[in-house]
Amino acid sequence: MDVFRHDIVIVGGGGAGLRAAIEAAEKNPTASIALVSKVYPMRSHTVSAEGGAAAIARDDDNLELHGYDTVKGSDFLGDQDCIQYFVEQAPKELALLENWGCPFSRNEDGTVATRAFGGMTTKRTWYAADKIGFHMLHALFQHSMRFKNIVRYDEYFVSKLLVEDGACRGVAALDIRTGEYSTILGRAVILTTGGGGKIFPFTTNGTIKTGDGMALAYRAGVPLKDMEFVQYHPTGLPGTGILITEATRGEGGYLRNSEGDRFLVEYDYGVGNKAELGPRDMISRAIVQEIEAGRGLSGAYGDHVLLDLTHLGEDKINSRLPFVRELANVYIGVDPVTTPIPVRPVVHYMMGGVDTDIHGATEMPGLYAAGETACVSINGANRLGSNSLTECLVFGAAAANHAMDYANGSAEGNEASLRAQAEEEAGRVENLRGRKKGGERISEIRRELNLAMEAGFGVYREQASMQAGVGATAQLRGRVADLRLEDESKVFNTELITALELMNMVEVAEVLAVSALHRKESRGAHTCKDFPTRNDEEYLYHTIARHDPAGPRLGKKDVVLGKWVPEERKY
Amino acid sequence: MVEKTIIITRFDPDRDEKPRKQEYTVPCEDSWKVLDAVNFIKDEIDATVSHRWSCRMAVCGSCGMMVNGEPKLTCKTALSDYDDRVDIEPLANFPIVRDLVVELDGFMHKFESVKPWIIRAKEQAEDKASLHPEKDTFGQSTEELGNFKQFSMCINCMLCYSACPVVANEPDFLGPAAIALGHRYNLDSRDEGAEERHDIFRGEGTVFSCSYANECSEVCPKNVDPAAAINQAKFGTVIDWAKGLVLPRGGTK
Amino acid sequence: MAGPAHPEAMAPPTPGRTRAAPPQMPSTWWSAKRIRTYILFDATGIIYFLIAFLGIRLINALGAGPEAWDAAMESLKNPIYIAFHLLTLVSVIFVAVRFFRLFPKAQPPAMGPMKPPPGPIIHGMLYVVWFGITAFMTAVLAGVIL
Repeated sequence: MDVFRHDIVIVGGGGAGLRAAIEAAEKNPTASIALVSKVYPMRSHTVSAEGGAAAIARDDDNLELHGYDTVKGSDFLGDQDCIQYFVEQAPKELALLENWGCPFSRNEDGTVATRAFGGMTTKRTWYAADKIGFHMLHALFQHSMRFKNIVRYDEYFVSKLLVEDGACRGVAALDIRTGEYSTILGRAVILTTGGGGKIFPFTTNGTIKTGDGMALAYRAGVPLKDMEFVQYHPTGLPGTGILITEATRGEGGYLRNSEGDRFLVEYDYGVGNKAELGPRDMISRAIVQEIEAGRGLSGAYGDHVLLDLTHLGEDKINSRLPFVRELANVYIGVDPVTTPIPVRPVVHYMMGGVDTDIHGATEMPGLYAAGETACVSINGANRLGSNSLTECLVFGAAAANHAMDYANGSAEGNEASLRAQAEEEAGRVENLRGRKKGGERISEIRRELNLAMEAGFGVYREQASMQAGVGATAQLRGRVADLRLEDESKVFNTELITALELMNMVEVAEVLAVSALHRKESRGAHTCKDFPTRNDEEYLYHTIARHDPAGPRLGKKDVVLGKWVPEERKY
Repeated sequence: MVEKTIIITRFDPDRDEKPRKQEYTVPCEDSWKVLDAVNFIKDEIDATVSHRWSCRMAVCGSCGMMVNGEPKLTCKTALSDYDDRVDIEPLANFPIVRDLVVELDGFMHKFESVKPWIIRAKEQAEDKASLHPEKDTFGQSTEELGNFKQFSMCINCMLCYSACPVVANEPDFLGPAAIALGHRYNLDSRDEGAEERHDIFRGEGTVFSCSYANECSEVCPKNVDPAAAINQAKFGTVIDWAKGLVLPRGGTK
Repeated sequence: MAGPAHPEAMAPPTPGRTRAAPPQMPSTWWSAKRIRTYILFDATGIIYFLIAFLGIRLINALGAGPEAWDAAMESLKNPIYIAFHLLTLVSVIFVAVRFFRLFPKAQPPAMGPMKPPPGPIIHGMLYVVWFGITAFMTAVLAGVIL
């Protein structure tokens, strides 16, 4: 088995991973940084973010406002020290991204333009038409290429963290091309693998988003935090779940019900005078209520409402929302210039993740996490649109910074024992490859998992269905260990990778289910019909879930409050 | 729902001397893209079929394949556009790793060789004066942005390399996407590295290998128009070369 | 293009970590429109090559005296020559039209403060120049001017 030695090992090559790699490479030009990703970095799912990235930019904006919007958006579950740090760092990080070549859209005077977004009181979302994620990812990836001390391991799947004396000292990674395992050692490891939206059937997430980093940390004994909070984006295309950005509403689009009414005016969740610019959890709930009240439209892929952009005009759609026009045309056969787009709420983002502190450090020495994988938490119970890309940058950089400091002061691990751990892992996965004696196929278990998650953990949740979800995921955890695999080949065995991903998904899904059942209140994206109000007395804490062979073991962690005292969340 | 015969190129280096074809009968839904049929085969018929895909919304660039002989982004290509036999092959001109998976290392090498990042004459710390004093960003007009925006839309799906007749004949040709990327930075008002990249473009197998067949632009799913970029780059390369004859290096700015 | 792709097209600078099959063109490459157009475009090169020989022959005839010139002119009336000239004309028009169509977008977006005119105008100008030169040459050959 090959053993590679580096100072920092970054797992995941999306926005947070690339930002972390650049920060580490800049901070210490003599250090060696490994960037390990199961896909080539430009394929990472950061690529499909559309609307923009938030940071104050205008004279009528300030840190206080961005901080308050974020805290309120989080339904007061966000840690206020982290949010303070986040809003302070945000403008600097986006400015760096601009310096590195990201083609942001511009104002008349040549400064970076900003647009309105849900839950944000003023225009502070920097954008590049409607492809910010794509441009951000490519700018970061291309910029990262100038650093010769970043060593990429493209298409390597990490399946185990190597832990010695309680500290993380590397990863065991399967080279997808050869089917062989490598031991990639580092004095510190940063997880930046994104979320796990694929545990749900109807999601904006790409197929690679299987909760790998969360499962890696969780199995290594690091707790996951606030996993019950799953963001439903109000506007996904029925059928495929393809994201139609919130920027459509930021640019002036309306949501209409079957009667043609701008129904959000009634609900009044909007910020300022724009009814459509409420936070995502509330807008998604409003859409579900409209549909349940019989004012939805039905189509080949279920009930939906309409996103009306026709009044914006062709020029504005072409200049600000060209990708939305392309997506609507190609994937649902609708030209938004002339016809409203059918949309319905769709699983988009996991607010929860690996429990980290303000520096991205987990409770395991040497292990860091950033981006959607991590739960710092700035997003609390509901993330505001356009905060997540900035989060990738701010906390990707912070994690790299602290990981580099930690790495400088820590000794190298014992190569022989770490290698032995990796060999054990290689043996386990080798037994899995082409394991024909198993019971069920990947697609069967995945379908069942998807159905259980959709039934139990939708926009609205109920105790009974969540209980069923907990039972289903626990049972699936047993069954996924007995998969039947057909592909015996070593080279580019995607079936084997999918099996490992499915195991991660089941693990993450179970934590999500157990955490959700535990939280007997309604807060942010977790809306429980049996407990319709927020209960600060009993539940103003982060849910912590630790790995246990019998199933997730829950605990609590205090929310860091500050100048913003919890109050009724009204827009 | 209509039944189609999907023909997939299979190649497993452990077993196959060379690529072979395998046929599958797939019940296809009307709304399906070509990728959906391949995924259906993988999930329900033959789990040993290997292919790359992720975002299924035409932006990650993973799922380029030859569909009936044409390079296509399979998540964007409607299956209903084809008759009842659809031949799906790995991207042409690329070495085949397995089944529909091609070798990217050669492409990545070319991609990196054009220095695809903002090059500034001064170090970042000294460069502060060029930035907007309060916002730390460069100024750039919408017009300046427009000069290069189109060439920054490349998703690296590599269809252009499969379509390019020069790539098929000349293995070292830098190729459409990589040249377009270099040219994108040359046109960016924030960049000062055009001369460096034009030096690269003067090398063998770069812009002047292009015979302007325009096939890259014909197949590009994102309308990047790499052929335009390459042929614009020819002009810039010649001008910089000519300047170099008259003026000493460094004096051309 | 008369075969599979170059076996090293897009090959990595160092050998891959597993055995890869050499690049292929699709089995239907010969019927693909885009490849046919490209082959036709390149094949016009043969015609220019041949007509260069004809040019040399005519210059020789011119040097050899009036009888040789008249004989050469007489031989051009052969239907094979006429067909060849027609083919040449078609080739030139094909290449010119194709080139003119692609030419505008090859213009750099700016040269210092100068911007190229819009694509359609460049396109139109190419035709104006082409027809202008053709008219001028025709006029010269017909003895109207010079």
